[in-house]
Amino acid sequence: MKHAFLAGLIALVPLSAEVTVIQNATIMSEGAKGTFKGTIVVENGKITAVGDNVMVPAGATVIDAAGQYVIPGIIDCHSHIAVDGGVNEGSVSVSSMVNIRDVINPEDIAIYRALAGGVTSANILHGSANAIGGQTLVLKMRWGQDAEGMIFQGATPGIKFALGENPKRAGNPQGGRGAAATNARYPATRMGVEDVIREAFNEAKQYKAEWDAYDAQVAKGEHPLPPRKDLKLEPLKEVLEGKRFVHAHCYRSDEILMLIRVADDYGFKIKTFQHVLEGYMVAKEIAAHGAGGSTFSDWWAYKMEAIDAIPYNAAVMTKKGVVSSLNSDDAELMRRLNTEAAKAMKYGGLTREEALALVTINPAKQLGVDNKVGSIEVGKDADIVIYDKDPLSNYAKVQKVWIDGNKYFDRDSDVSGRPLKELEKKKLTDKEKAAMPAPNGRRPQ
Amino acid sequence: MKKFGLFIAFAVAACAAANDTFLIRGVDVYPVTGPEVKGVSVLVQDGKIADIGAKIVAPKGMKIVEGKGLRLYPGMIDSNTNLGLSEVGAERVTVDTGELGEFMPQLKALSAVNPESEHFGVVRANGITSVMTFPAAGGRGGRGGGGQQYISGQAALIHMDGWTWEDMEIKRDAAVHFLFPSIASRAGRGGLANVDFADEIALLFGGGSAAGTYTEAKRQYETQVAKVTEFFDNCRQYQKERTANLPGFKRDLKYEAMIPVLEGKVPVAVPAARERAIHDAVAFAEKEHIKIVILAPQELGKEGPELKAKNVPVILGRTEALPENQDAPYDYAESLPGEFYKAGVKIAFGTFDNEFSRNLPYNAARAVAYGLPYDAALKAITINAAEIWGEGDKMGSIEKGKWADLMLVTGDPLETPTQIKALYIKGKEVDLSNKQTRLYQKYLNRP
Amino acid sequence: MRNLLSALLVFCGCAAAADNVAIAIRNAKIVTVSGSVINKGTVVVRNGLIQDVGESVTIPGDAVVIDGEGLTVYPGLVDALSTWGMPGPAATGGTAARGGGRGAAAPGTTQTPAAAAPAAPPARGPEDRPSTTSWIKAADEIQTSDKRIESARSAGFTTAAVWPTRGFFAGQGSLIDLLTGEKAGEMVLVPSLGQYISLTRAGGGGGGMGGGFPSALMGAIAYVRQIYLDADHYQMVKAAYEKNPRGMQRPEYDRALEGVIESKRILLPANRWVEIDRMIHFAAELKQPAIYYGLREGFEDRSVKYLKDANATVLVSLKWPEKARDQDPEAEDPYRQMVLREKAPTTPAVLKKNGIKFALYSDGIDAPRDLQRAIKKAIDNGLSREDALRALTLSPAEIYGVQDRLGSIEKGKIANLVVTKGEIFDDRTKIEFVLVDGNKYIPAPEAAPAGRGGGGAATTPNSGVKK
Repeated sequence: MKHAFLAGLIALVPLSAEVTVIQNATIMSEGAKGTFKGTIVVENGKITAVGDNVMVPAGATVIDAAGQYVIPGIIDCHSHIAVDGGVNEGSVSVSSMVNIRDVINPEDIAIYRALAGGVTSANILHGSANAIGGQTLVLKMRWGQDAEGMIFQGATPGIKFALGENPKRAGNPQGGRGAAATNARYPATRMGVEDVIREAFNEAKQYKAEWDAYDAQVAKGEHPLPPRKDLKLEPLKEVLEGKRFVHAHCYRSDEILMLIRVADDYGFKIKTFQHVLEGYMVAKEIAAHGAGGSTFSDWWAYKMEAIDAIPYNAAVMTKKGVVSSLNSDDAELMRRLNTEAAKAMKYGGLTREEALALVTINPAKQLGVDNKVGSIEVGKDADIVIYDKDPLSNYAKVQKVWIDGNKYFDRDSDVSGRPLKELEKKKLTDKEKAAMPAPNGRRPQ
Repeated sequence: MKKFGLFIAFAVAACAAANDTFLIRGVDVYPVTGPEVKGVSVLVQDGKIADIGAKIVAPKGMKIVEGKGLRLYPGMIDSNTNLGLSEVGAERVTVDTGELGEFMPQLKALSAVNPESEHFGVVRANGITSVMTFPAAGGRGGRGGGGQQYISGQAALIHMDGWTWEDMEIKRDAAVHFLFPSIASRAGRGGLANVDFADEIALLFGGGSAAGTYTEAKRQYETQVAKVTEFFDNCRQYQKERTANLPGFKRDLKYEAMIPVLEGKVPVAVPAARERAIHDAVAFAEKEHIKIVILAPQELGKEGPELKAKNVPVILGRTEALPENQDAPYDYAESLPGEFYKAGVKIAFGTFDNEFSRNLPYNAARAVAYGLPYDAALKAITINAAEIWGEGDKMGSIEKGKWADLMLVTGDPLETPTQIKALYIKGKEVDLSNKQTRLYQKYLNRP
Repeated sequence: MRNLLSALLVFCGCAAAADNVAIAIRNAKIVTVSGSVINKGTVVVRNGLIQDVGESVTIPGDAVVIDGEGLTVYPGLVDALSTWGMPGPAATGGTAARGGGRGAAAPGTTQTPAAAAPAAPPARGPEDRPSTTSWIKAADEIQTSDKRIESARSAGFTTAAVWPTRGFFAGQGSLIDLLTGEKAGEMVLVPSLGQYISLTRAGGGGGGMGGGFPSALMGAIAYVRQIYLDADHYQMVKAAYEKNPRGMQRPEYDRALEGVIESKRILLPANRWVEIDRMIHFAAELKQPAIYYGLREGFEDRSVKYLKDANATVLVSLKWPEKARDQDPEAEDPYRQMVLREKAPTTPAVLKKNGIKFALYSDGIDAPRDLQRAIKKAIDNGLSREDALRALTLSPAEIYGVQDRLGSIEKGKIANLVVTKGEIFDDRTKIEFVLVDGNKYIPAPEAAPAGRGGGGAATTPNSGVKK
């Protein structure tokens, strides 16, 4: 099977009834008391015991993690991997009718590489070309499953907003892709970005009123003609009803504050600010609103709105009471979130536990799944990562990754499977070469 | 009388001790070119490393830096950046790399360096004391014409602090940036790494015509090589005429700039990703009798023996990078430095970026995790870089007589939580505050 | 009697049929597809229909007798998803404004936009109905002069399900017999087979900001979903208005929705197993009977599983993925791509083995030699000749619900036959002639590939009769 080839020879631990025990590990997890040496028991995909004095059930598969470190699976709060056919529906300013869920690509090699970097869940977002973008969802990195099998069941769905330079780019087409001035897409300024959002919610409020009236009549036993279902306004209605999380890409302090006030006006909450590179300037307001901040560790200066970004952002937001996380927004960076977390120790003096929280329990809280993942605690999903060294060290390598108690990554298997992969590829390459027409043009028989 | 004279001498010394003469006491020294020496003192005098030893008695009045519990390393060197030349990548007006023109060896990166670039403060705060700053590739057709660019200009080796670019200069022509042609093939990478969906389907279902045929690409390559060869021939011709200096001889700035290259004094720095490109570039350099440094190779292939035999050093790019193609192992980029090292090639690291230059040591650390010995990694960001760019006698290690380009740190500089306690360039302590530390303090203290 | 019959035929406007002359092919091997092979038998054709077939059949006195010694008779091949006869890219597609009006020209005439409408502004959302011409029927667009019709016959094809293919809702396909004549109408067997849906913009990748909505795959999917929601709502409103219009705003006529509503099934694109999975779910959500076309990864275990579980019907492209020519010798294709090239031709055999209903289609391959080779490749990769034949005859007939009149050699069915010297699909086999609706056509001598409107060799409609 191709997938076995592509992913190396992964030995999937058989499902369900099997019991797995990870022993003698140095466990680092919020909830567990800081860092300590102990044992984790996994059964039916859940953590059933964790501690320094835990009974090993009979018949369990025991993994000796002596000298190794265990942390909860890393959660990337901002990712665009595993999406088919374009991550931006950039043609219109409000593209809330599209849904990432329709275009999940479970074959994206980035999923496997994220696993190799210790990531077990990711918030897959629409791009940032629109003030109001498409619907989003959370996936688990269950490499080898189909699209449905990747979905983090029970995670509240989201919607992407974007503020600042990106959503106004199509409004300023000089030097762009040759779009004539007549085809410039509103908005062209930050003022317009706010207007687009307000207009959309104005419309959504009316749409909601129509449907509420309809529902009321139906409840009374009447049979009115239903209003037209509008896929663009449905998710905004859900936002108003608190059923869908808003993840807002933003940079500057002025636009962060703007969106908070818009949300206040329309009576909804922003769940997370993404990138939020100037979050440190308005951490007070973000904390008061109750939003989370998911940011980069140290990216800056690549565009104007990033010139005042500082690597102390996560630390300052944390100190001011904002639930903060570090994300990647990038398939490459996604593999290094553990060492990105360490940067918050250097820039801002967070403790080891606080740093690790930035990529585990905090993003879990931000996505509303902290009852299921984000720490190694009894009752949570067995999303667990083993490192050969301190995960906050640049020298650490992921050794094994479990999701729901199933092993999805094993470095030893990956490495030992490489010669076979090479061989398979060579066989096929040689076969194709032999079948190609000879230089004289005649086809071989 | 003698006593009084001595006293004056000391007093003068004390005043003139100014900022580039001091003693670091009781520190663990990591010279890089030798084993570490723990708990010793280092005397810096007039900006140079004067002495390293267990017991050095500081003259009275000399500034003492307490090094107990700390480590001393040579300042780090990033072998490829655009520092000072590019401020905000997405805003062209702030970017001074990538000039137009096919052959532009006369362009000097050094005198376009903005010493007040915010990047300098940010990068040196993590222990980088000097960098190579490159004019980078330009001349793309479209804006104002000009097709392929072959020679971008002179890359400069600079210190990370100074009142002017003259102050910062170590060597204005440490290398000439030379984009030797390579055959542009469709992928060559089995890569679907970051290809957009339409292209992916086209590639998957065999229709892919992303970059034309190999025959075309090869033809184009040969044309380009001919052009480059012709240019070098013209340079040699000019060299002859210049030596002869007959009446009527006119100076040509372009050809002038190439003379140090022809004389083997200045190397060309050539980006070469594929094995074949590396070989072709090295072969050309050999034919033209010039020195060459390879930049950012993406594979080693069978080039190891050639690079070693011909003493061609290599500046490795970021290990924090995705594998080259879809089928490559996930740790491909991280393992590459180890491969080059094992092949006996002299390596240094470059971040090829401004934004991530401060992460140079962590880039090196990842290579250590995947097979590069620690000492080799440390050398690759210190002494090797100094030697490759021709200043190995002045910097890159803690040895007597070398510049006091030093970093005083709390631990292994390749590990993130390590703090830089002090940084010195030519013995002068460098301000570690920068725009970001100032914004941090300001908003941390917002009521 | 003959004249009366002809008169009656003309009077009732029945489909073009050879004037009441019978043709009998005698002593030929007959592969009926619906039954066992007749090693030596006779087929009698009259009025465009199969009058009789069997081992010992009485040949009518007035029949033109063709000696079938050494020849084999097969049912004429059916291209299950074709553009033969359809006009070029300029004519159909593009943003269509909402509103009424007949879009189609008279049958048989070209619908080239001579005085082309100015380019429509980019669509601002689903309400602008981007790239939607759902009301167009292929039958109304047929260009009888399309040279590919005759080259298709030279490859043994007598019937094609032709579809408009440009646009998200490109329009409705029609089943046509590949006749050469003046009136397109006489070619049509079934005027509307369903709605052709594609999810990528013709001639451009996604993700842009200049081309209008939708630009990404998820945009196209959202658009299709919205159309079906709108169609449901439209029908509800229309019904309510019909029942009692007084006091009610009249529903706005939306020909895009009308076209979608009148389509009894949809065609959805699906090549990779991920797409097959996605489209099966999508069709279920839309509650539309669907046929999936493309199927290049049909050989994958997962594809088979999903298709089986959904009891799906698929059309497999004959355009097997090939390695690009003139490639850098040091370039390496991704392993995945190489596996695809190796395995794709096994898809028909795999589907057959797993009992999944499928037919083959030309997918832009027009030259007879190329078609034959492409079909042969499937046979070389595990599909039996019989199953290959069936996938090009009775299976497509069944898929489109016309198995009662087409797709095999049985009494009463339409006289579409291909007669060969040698086994069909073999490299050296020669196609002697085809009958389409009883009209005999002889393939041109092997020439350059026939293009649209040029380069093809003339067909000599030969003895026998033609309208």
